[in-house]
Amino acid sequence: MNLDLIELVSIAAALSAILMAGSTHLSMNIALYSLQTFLLSLATYSLAGLRAESHFIWVALAIVVLKALGIPLFLHWIMVKIGVNSDPGTTLAPPLAMHCCVLLMGLSYFLAQSLPSSSLEGHSWANATAAISLLLSGLILMLTRRIALSQIIGFLVIENGIYLFALTQTSGMPLVVEMGVLLDVLVGVMISGLLVFRIQRSFEHIDVTQLTELRD
Amino acid sequence: MDSLLKLILLPLLAAGLSLLKLNPALSRGGVSLIFWSQFAYLIYLLEPVLLGKIKVLTLVPGIAADKIGALFALLTTLVVATAMTHACFFFQNESQAEPGSEEHVRIFYFSASLLLMAMTFVCFCDNLGYLWIAIEGTTLASAALVFHSRTKHSLEATWKYLIICSVGIAFALFGTILIFASSQQAVDAVGTLEISGLMAMAPKLNYSLLRLGFVFCLLGYGTKAGIFPLHSWLPDAHSEAPAPGSAMLSGGLLNCALLAIFRLSQIVLSAGHENLALKLPLVMGVLSVLAASLFLVRQSGIKRLWAYSSIENVGIILCAIGLNAPALFFLLALNHSLAKTAIFLLSGNIIQVCGSKQIHDIKGVLANSPVWAMMLAVSAFAVTGAPPFGAFVSEWGLLALCADKGYWWVVASLLMALALSFVVVSYHVSRCIWGTPAPTYKTLKQLPGAFFPALLIISTLLAGTTALTQKLVLLP
Amino acid sequence: MKELDPNEIYRWLIFLPSLLILPALVLGLLRKTKARLQNRIGAPLFQLLFDLKKLSGKGETLSDAISWIFRSTAALNLSMLLLLSLVCPWLVFKPALGTSDLFYVMYVFAAIRFFTLLAALDSASPFAAFGASREATLSILVEPALMLSFAALAVNAKSSELSRVFEFAANSGVEASAIWAFAGMGILLSSLVELSRMPIDDPTTHLELTMVHEAMILEASGRTLALLEYGQALRMTILFGLVTQCFMHVFPAVIALSLGLKVLLSFLGILFIAISLGIFEVLSVKLRWRRNPDFIAYALTMGLLASLIAVGKGLLS
Repeated sequence: MNLDLIELVSIAAALSAILMAGSTHLSMNIALYSLQTFLLSLATYSLAGLRAESHFIWVALAIVVLKALGIPLFLHWIMVKIGVNSDPGTTLAPPLAMHCCVLLMGLSYFLAQSLPSSSLEGHSWANATAAISLLLSGLILMLTRRIALSQIIGFLVIENGIYLFALTQTSGMPLVVEMGVLLDVLVGVMISGLLVFRIQRSFEHIDVTQLTELRD
Repeated sequence: MDSLLKLILLPLLAAGLSLLKLNPALSRGGVSLIFWSQFAYLIYLLEPVLLGKIKVLTLVPGIAADKIGALFALLTTLVVATAMTHACFFFQNESQAEPGSEEHVRIFYFSASLLLMAMTFVCFCDNLGYLWIAIEGTTLASAALVFHSRTKHSLEATWKYLIICSVGIAFALFGTILIFASSQQAVDAVGTLEISGLMAMAPKLNYSLLRLGFVFCLLGYGTKAGIFPLHSWLPDAHSEAPAPGSAMLSGGLLNCALLAIFRLSQIVLSAGHENLALKLPLVMGVLSVLAASLFLVRQSGIKRLWAYSSIENVGIILCAIGLNAPALFFLLALNHSLAKTAIFLLSGNIIQVCGSKQIHDIKGVLANSPVWAMMLAVSAFAVTGAPPFGAFVSEWGLLALCADKGYWWVVASLLMALALSFVVVSYHVSRCIWGTPAPTYKTLKQLPGAFFPALLIISTLLAGTTALTQKLVLLP
Repeated sequence: MKELDPNEIYRWLIFLPSLLILPALVLGLLRKTKARLQNRIGAPLFQLLFDLKKLSGKGETLSDAISWIFRSTAALNLSMLLLLSLVCPWLVFKPALGTSDLFYVMYVFAAIRFFTLLAALDSASPFAAFGASREATLSILVEPALMLSFAALAVNAKSSELSRVFEFAANSGVEASAIWAFAGMGILLSSLVELSRMPIDDPTTHLELTMVHEAMILEASGRTLALLEYGQALRMTILFGLVTQCFMHVFPAVIALSLGLKVLLSFLGILFIAISLGIFEVLSVKLRWRRNPDFIAYALTMGLLASLIAVGKGLLS
């Protein structure tokens, strides 16, 4: 039961998400996100050969250009502009969040086992585990961080997890859908990035746990 | 492709027009005119579907109009057109109070056009992937509506709206993928995302994946619809958006999310899993209704009040989905959208007069602006489902259907919640209407501001007093 | 008496000198790397040996307050370390001396800590007591990480017997490699804490108030200090040796190693870790005391990952 390249790559991506949950430096998290996305595009590229689906190559290319380079650069630019570079985390300290993520990775293994199997190339428990673990790590990241930028990163990690799941557990979403999702994510990141600027300007911080003026 | 363009040409035109730096009155009037012509054009385009001449009008693969989709598209366009026409009046007063916000209003009009485009797509999607993209598109387009006033509060509301809805929708994407996977695991199948295709092969879908996918989609689109435990963004967004924006969010956007849930429940239903497809929405609906009616009691902002009332109505509409009653589903959504749009627009006017959203700051509206006060009272009745309005008829139908099917617990909880919300809303509205107005209140021309809300109220009254709507929406 | 195998004699012949030379070399390399990176020439590589010679010639200054605990601790610790060096598979060519248990090794390490702590308290110096309190806190924090890493190895081998755990299995899969890699990282990070090295404690500052290990041995002098210094270097070498062995077990999934290569690698690995630690110590800064748990958390994460994979592997096969 040896792992193939795609499985190694996707598990490496899941591990990078776990490290993200433990790191308090935003630039580190952005770099790890970029690495993770790059790994996913690598998986996409190698699946293109295995499944003989040429449109995967375009998807891989789009991911590298837009998600592995474009979004991290954009987020980094915001980070530098705003001058916030670390996120101390909220109730759950980042190291503990990281431990949670490791345990959730174990949980995702069991969840992945309960998925029905198929004969698709690249469909394996390792890939499913990695995808679900990415999703859950992203969720932990969103729940335990207080800086608006970290929440965007957390959302992107969730999205990566979903993408990996779609890539490995199905024969791949149709190209139009894939590109539409990518477009939505890009626009979403742009809009929330601009909002972060606004929050910084109005509140002089980007700590979203302090945005509690609206309540019943 | 050109049939696709046909659908969005007019909203695109409106988006372009709203960005041009023309005379405000001209461009705003032009945009509303375009929206009304889009409404007329949709009627013309969808006429065969509406009259039942053909069952499905396929525009391009993956984009097709069936009857319920067509009806919802018309309703959405109507709501947007009304709200944006009212917006001419609204923003005129707003710019008197706060000059120099022309740029913001242009962005508002631009995003409203995009929102209409995205919502139209939601109604016509015959593909779960496109459906997801369109719904996420509505979130992105409407973020600018919530952010319109550029205050700290609106910033907070927009951030919550964007993040909570995006994460919710992300789970819907996960659910969509699970359903896609379930279609691939069916015997000798290539896998499809087309709703009609999925319904055709429904019994062959892998059940465990389908179940998981449905639950995730329900949670995801449910977040967008504001069902109970996931509703926290909704009151903030609805109360921070300017009145026409709130009207579109409540009257248009919620319907889109509900339509998505309806489509998914139809897929699961045709796979033969009635318990999953119907019970789950039913339970979530009842929960939302109960929770929202309790939340209504302690509201202090007038628009938050209507926001919670929207959550309550979403719950009721979910119950209709849970009873597998498409006609009732549309009827409830129709009446809710009409009445809620009217009441949001009126509240916007009243807030402009009083200069505050807080109920305890709003007093003596009857003395200050009698037309709006009367209209507010009438539309509050319409929203809470008092006879003889359309909401009453449709809710009556819902309760009767529940009783028919033996869901007495649903009947009991709905009745309790509806009675409570009626009492609470009447109390709050009467506090606003009676009393002596504060000297700081402005006087605005009332008739133009009341025109569209009045039209909507009359139409929901018509829906209630005539059997016309029921005949119109008799779906197969 | 059993006839001695010539092979075994060779092993002893390499092993015994390396027991003396390797610790000196490891410490020397580490210090030399740091010195060179800081543009200093630095002490000679085998400075430790010169120090030992000098210290053993010196007389001792002992406090009146101390008891037999302080006096015997240095010797006790060194004997336990020598025992460890014999039973612990920190070098491939270590002569076989029967077998021992993974957790036995772990708790002999803990016993060494315990006696160092006692001695520090016994010396009645307030600085030493500060150091002891920090050491106790750190040992509590680092224990789970070390324990999990070792447990992962034990689960992987389905035995906690050292000779079986550190056996080079013929074709272990990628999972086994991953377990070894993560456990190795876990042990490496924990050993930095255990040895009170850089991100936790800077042994080269002149502020005893903030230090851990150096503060504890503040009262020792002369021969006692010599024993303690050598013991610390030996402890470092053994721990680095264990880490090296862990990383060497990553290879079999890719290429098979010959015996000669293994011997070479186990030497080079220890020296490599010493040099990289030197580089790391120059580049990094000491963490604030309250940030230490964050660092140890990474060790724990590695241990957790290793044990998760080990458990998963056990479930699958």
